Amino acid sequence: MSDSNFFSYPEEIKEEFLQTEDIQFRDGSKATPAEVWEFLTKEGPVRYPFAYDHSRYHGRRFSKDMTLPYTLKHNYLILTMNDRMTKAKKNGVPVVFAQGGQSVDPYYAAGAIGLRPASVNIWARGQQEGLNLVQEQVRSSDQKEKAYRATSFEICQSAGYENIQEGTVPVDIIAPYTCLRCSDISYGLEAHRHGGRKDVKLLVVDYPLGDQKNKEWAIEYFAENIRRLTDEISKLTGKKMTAGDLSKEIKLHNEGRRLALEIADLWWSATVPPTSGEDRRYLLQMGGMEIHGDPVATLSVLREARKTIENRVKNGQKGLGVSEKAARLFLCGSCVQVNNHRTEEAGGIVVGTDNHWSDITTIVEEDGDPFYNLAKAILSYPYEQTIQERAQWTIDQINKSRADGALFMYNWGCNTQSAVARAICDQLKKKLNLPTLIIEHEMRGTQSEQLQNRVNAFVEMIQ
Amino acid sequence: MTNINAFAGVDVGSLGTKAVILVNGEIAGSSLIRTGINSVENGLESLEKALDSANLKKEDLKYIVGTGYGRISAPYANKTITEITCHAKGAHYLHPATRTIIDMGGQDCKAIRVDEEGNVVDFAMNDKCAAGTGRFLEVMANVFKVDISELGPLALKATQVLPVSSTCTVFAESETVSLLARGEKPEDIIIGVHHAIANRIKGLFSRVGIQSDVFFSGGVAKNTGMRKALEEVLEVRIANPENDPQLVGAIGAAVSAQRLYEKSGNVSQRSA
Repeated sequence: MSDSNFFSYPEEIKEEFLQTEDIQFRDGSKATPAEVWEFLTKEGPVRYPFAYDHSRYHGRRFSKDMTLPYTLKHNYLILTMNDRMTKAKKNGVPVVFAQGGQSVDPYYAAGAIGLRPASVNIWARGQQEGLNLVQEQVRSSDQKEKAYRATSFEICQSAGYENIQEGTVPVDIIAPYTCLRCSDISYGLEAHRHGGRKDVKLLVVDYPLGDQKNKEWAIEYFAENIRRLTDEISKLTGKKMTAGDLSKEIKLHNEGRRLALEIADLWWSATVPPTSGEDRRYLLQMGGMEIHGDPVATLSVLREARKTIENRVKNGQKGLGVSEKAARLFLCGSCVQVNNHRTEEAGGIVVGTDNHWSDITTIVEEDGDPFYNLAKAILSYPYEQTIQERAQWTIDQINKSRADGALFMYNWGCNTQSAVARAICDQLKKKLNLPTLIIEHEMRGTQSEQLQNRVNAFVEMIQ
Repeated sequence: MTNINAFAGVDVGSLGTKAVILVNGEIAGSSLIRTGINSVENGLESLEKALDSANLKKEDLKYIVGTGYGRISAPYANKTITEITCHAKGAHYLHPATRTIIDMGGQDCKAIRVDEEGNVVDFAMNDKCAAGTGRFLEVMANVFKVDISELGPLALKATQVLPVSSTCTVFAESETVSLLARGEKPEDIIIGVHHAIANRIKGLFSRVGIQSDVFFSGGVAKNTGMRKALEEVLEVRIANPENDPQLVGAIGAAVSAQRLYEKSGNVSQRSA
């Protein structure tokens, strides 16, 4: 690792950053800006040097945009994931492995932490300190390869399962939803069946497939499944979750979802993109309230970020490194990313995604039975609907984001998304006359040169 | 820098590195070398050889465009462009009626649609698999113990097309070994291999469509058997320009170099 690639936060921004707001946590504690600054400038570089590597091939490298305080707070929350999960576990808070693209309201309402595969990997990553970028990538790759060997087939989110099976991350329950979006859930169940951690309970939340959102029986059935999930978590916490607990949690998560929607509308309303694609990506991802393993913390960052984005748009400020006439790309598909930095170098920018945005845009009804309301909302996620409905929703998002082209990416082995990619793209071409490109790639992060080559060619074509 | 209107395109591919020198809009020199382990040195060596063949020096060049997978390590280039765009520009330069390009290189194959100015309007590429690429043919040549250049002529001697898997290079290799073991004629298997690749390409064209004239570029385009198989499977006639099809990407890079130079406010004497 070259020293010239090593990123550090400049002292000049410290005073202004210290004036920003505290991060509030679910357990009542908080992190002041001074504590965040201290961690990011002293402790973080020593414990997690890979995160500070600014090589252009590091797809998740830190933002250089120093006037976005939320980027520092997000980085702090990501780098402290292991510390916070360890603390939560010590305090008796169960951690549940969630998969299937669902909202995490019920997991938290029942007193647990619900983590999707990517967050489980972030937690595992935090347990090995002092690794540089190459060492970290080798560690991550090794985890995936171990899972491939264990199952003898390629699983998209293999590292998450492997981290659980070898006991790296002590989750208490594996509780995915059997949604259409993710054929890897069945692979994951197979990984668990053959894995060594039989003590980790497996609970499948049965999602009624096949356009069931308007059928009463399906909503009731799914609501019952959510009750099963929360009952199971309650057994671990020793405290029965009430409908009131769930209602309260839904309100909290709805606030996050609404904030993300407002931020997206602000971002899209700007003549030029007000942030880089990477800074947009995780900001809106926060609307899912899962990314940091603490919805209260995420919400406090989101509230502050909304003001920042509003001011930027009002002042016509352009995101750092974004070209004036960037080709605006909409990214479709599950569990996929492009290297935003390199895409911007090539003259493009990702302005929207469909995957988790689908559940963020679905506000849960707050009056009435919260189990029923949550089940109804989850069953109506646009991403899980028929191809026609999903395509129409995607078209609406593309129109709002003023995208010039759509990339549909899927991971090798993702049977569901690979099967629908062309049908969705055909609709986008037919109804919007929009350039589209389908890319299948290996689940090896955003470093792939083959992937970037295709993205760059697509940007050149649009330009 | 001299007053010669000289531009260069350097295409560092997975198997071959190519360079083309354009002077006053005409191809004045070119080179093709085997790609080694150092992308920067490969590009520079190829560029030097192309310059030698054009009797020019590096100082004579007004603009250089790098392309191919090695373009990420091309400090000698003023700009880098993907080979998709360069193949489109190169094919249009050589055969302006081109509307569809089949590019088959060492590690990938591409189906590219272009407009009347050689701009890419749609494209599709093979995904993470060597099936349908030059590497696939290299593996097959090894099975038949012949040089890769002999595969095409052998394919033309076939009396029937034996089906071979297009899913995976390794599967196809073992299938080929099995066919040989049961006594099938090598020519019939070889044409089957070419048809397997052509069928793979057909799948890409089902995404982007196909329109005449069709141009075949890349190293595999030198293979006469592949050309015949593509014409049969795609049911099209493929244009047959005289230039080396392996140089098309580098030609497109050189054409782009001249256009970018002119776009930046400079005027060259004749547009490519």
